[in-house]
Amino acid sequence: MIHIEIELQKLKNQVNEMGSLVGKQIKKCIIAFVEMDKNLAKEVKIQEKRVNAFELKIDRDCENIFALQNPVAGDLRLVFATLKVNYNLERIGDNAEGIAQYVMQAQEKFDKKLLEETRFQEMADNVLHMLNDICTAYATDDTKLARTIFQRDSVVDEINKNATEIIAKYITENHSKALAALYLLTIIRKLERTGDHITNIAEEVIFYVEGKVLKHGKKDIPLEG
Amino acid sequence: MVSKLEAKNINVHYGTFHALKNINLKVKANTVTALIGPSGCGKSTFLRCFNRMNDLIDTFKIEGDMTIDGRDIYAKKIDVTAHRKKVGMVFQKPNPFPKSIFENVAYGLKVNGITHKKFIAETVERSLQQAALWEEVKDKLHKSAFALSGGQQQRLCIARTLAVEPSVVLMDEPASALDPISTAKIEELIHELKEKYTIMIVTHNMQQAGRVSDKTAFFYMGELIEFDDTSTIFTNPKIEQTHRYITGRFG
Repeated sequence: MIHIEIELQKLKNQVNEMGSLVGKQIKKCIIAFVEMDKNLAKEVKIQEKRVNAFELKIDRDCENIFALQNPVAGDLRLVFATLKVNYNLERIGDNAEGIAQYVMQAQEKFDKKLLEETRFQEMADNVLHMLNDICTAYATDDTKLARTIFQRDSVVDEINKNATEIIAKYITENHSKALAALYLLTIIRKLERTGDHITNIAEEVIFYVEGKVLKHGKKDIPLEG
Repeated sequence: MVSKLEAKNINVHYGTFHALKNINLKVKANTVTALIGPSGCGKSTFLRCFNRMNDLIDTFKIEGDMTIDGRDIYAKKIDVTAHRKKVGMVFQKPNPFPKSIFENVAYGLKVNGITHKKFIAETVERSLQQAALWEEVKDKLHKSAFALSGGQQQRLCIARTLAVEPSVVLMDEPASALDPISTAKIEELIHELKEKYTIMIVTHNMQQAGRVSDKTAFFYMGELIEFDDTSTIFTNPKIEQTHRYITGRFG
């Protein structure tokens, strides 16, 4: 293994660790939300500092590889993509912290019936699986797996889109629970944004492995293999 | 449009050694083309074919068509000395003559029978300016060229090449023996020169190829493996061998 390969593998290992941490953050904030577990929410807020530390470290390592290893071609694309993967993972971490923050502010448990109606759990499960799979795709250069993300994100988008109407109706019928319902809507928005960040990472995986740019509506490329 | 330089089915042998294998390549005017590849891959041989320097090697044999401005440079009627005037060459190590700075640049004019002093002086000044050396030497034109630094000597050699007004400049690792500042000056110069000249450069420095050239040709074991825009070669080469070479996986 030549030196740059060792450096790139170290970089990828760190991103995998960060991805695993961010995955746990999302999982914990969802459990904290559904169970109204404020201690778990607090844990998410504390762990967010580790996510931020990862981001700074990975940024610095990318900068060092650019300056010291002069990567080109596939190596260059990997470092370039990793910078963006890093950014997107950090934003997912922010969303987890944001959800945890709402859990800490909430006065009472969220209405289970409303959660069912908005398909909240389905959305949360989808986002968690997508996050898990995109981390695997990045770790193993699996563009086939990365390409499955686009279709799966559209389900998340659809749940988000329908939620507005359902929650508006719920508020008109349950004035006293308006605040909790609005919190739920915000949390659903954060999960939808998380899906978008995961989609961005999928685009970056395809970019660095295949050299193809799929941004801005060029995702409908048939699956390969 | 006629290419400035063109190689069509070029095969070169040194005795029984097949040095270049069926090379096809077209170069547009006023561009810089970098030739890269491991030692012995044929890139310098290819470069030297364009000014017929390989003719000096007894065992050299070339087949195929090589043209400059559409004219066959290996045609029997070609005057090789006149041809070399049109295709300047800069070598790895600066090789000034043991003469003054002025005489080095004026040399090409004088051996071509030009005696008009004012014309020679003007040409020397213009060539030194084009080679970005004039400001540094204008007050010591009659001092020995050997008094200059390595980087200055190399720019002097470039000025000497430009004095006879070539249309093509070939450079064989022109900055490999120079420090980073002199290298930067040569690279800046290459950028400026391409407005007037067509440049082909052999380099082992990948970053240099990236910085100075418009097109890059990757040679390996006598074959032209890939030829494309430099930005494509260094971000997304199409051939795995090219990728492996430029990323340092083999060489």
